[in-house]
Amino acid sequence: MLMLAGIVVLHITTIILLLVAAIDNAWWVKDSVSADLWGKWELTNSNMWHYTNLKDYPEDYLQAVQATSVLACVFTILALFVFVAQLFTLPKGMRFTFTGILQIIACLCIMTGASIYTAKLHVNESSGGYGHCYILAWISFVLTFILALTYFILRKKKE
Amino acid sequence: MLTFLALTSVALLGIVPEQSQAIVIYTGWERHALVGSDIRLSCSFFSWRWTSEDVTFSWTYRPDGSRDAISIFHYTGGAAYLDNKGPFRDRLEFVGNPGRRDGSILLKNLELSDNGTFTCDAKNPPDIVGRPSSVRLLVFEKVPIQAGVITGAIIGVVLGLLLLIVVIYYLMRFLVARRVFSLSVSKHGKKKKEGSQQRQLWTPPPLTCYPLP
Repeated sequence: MLMLAGIVVLHITTIILLLVAAIDNAWWVKDSVSADLWGKWELTNSNMWHYTNLKDYPEDYLQAVQATSVLACVFTILALFVFVAQLFTLPKGMRFTFTGILQIIACLCIMTGASIYTAKLHVNESSGGYGHCYILAWISFVLTFILALTYFILRKKKE
Repeated sequence: MLTFLALTSVALLGIVPEQSQAIVIYTGWERHALVGSDIRLSCSFFSWRWTSEDVTFSWTYRPDGSRDAISIFHYTGGAAYLDNKGPFRDRLEFVGNPGRRDGSILLKNLELSDNGTFTCDAKNPPDIVGRPSSVRLLVFEKVPIQAGVITGAIIGVVLGLLLLIVVIYYLMRFLVARRVFSLSVSKHGKKKKEGSQQRQLWTPPPLTCYPLP
């Protein structure tokens, strides 16, 4: 019972971290610029923040990262619903394979997205650094991997 | 009895409006607009008195980050006076109807420097005690979301594939189960036992068990 609650809490935490990484605006941060996958905030001379397009990013790589982060969120949310469904419908003693498969796909998606972002975007920039959303993306990669392994090993209790 | 009621109602009518005789001004809270577009800032008021002929509307503008406000519009004595020296010269138009208590203005061709707070103050003599109301204007550049065709294509294809695989899986299970069942029905007796045995084979044999708490 406690283990079940722990796994569900961990899964919900992973979902929240993935959603924050995909939505919040801090993949690449400088003093006056804060960019993510969807747009860029720039601080102008008159102390105003402007939200602009990501003009000088390689388009296809950026869109691939966008697609994979959205897919990672979708798959991990699906995995939670499938897990709850399998808790009720799975025969006793069986493993939660479908949930594990969905979760490993989510893990692969966020790994692909974060890797493409690291390798292809911001390669030649001298100033600035990765923001908290980028870090959260990698942390959720680790968490989804652990959860996928858990679902592949876990068995439904035999009364 | 009737005279008593009449006297109390007259007394109440005399007391209550004294306290609520303040003019209440309504504008929006926040308005968003794109650079280069036009926006209508609405201002109207509520007053217990009839709309007087000396009703006045005035708009002031305070840029974001500044502490001073400048006057940009004033309507008085039946005539509207627009900004002809400040940041809104030739970009302001009066589109309100003072007779209907509407003092709205139209800002044309917005620029990024128009971000700020617009305050409307209306007076309906003798009802002049009231609090001006402010609306915050936020001017944006065009659509910043940059999700494109490739993004949509990847997401659509992957989700479609997942749906297809799930549907095919359940279809296969359903068809194979039906084939087994129809076989067992067509040849009664012996085949029925084999069919039920086959169904038992579907559940995988238990491997080494990990104890769960």
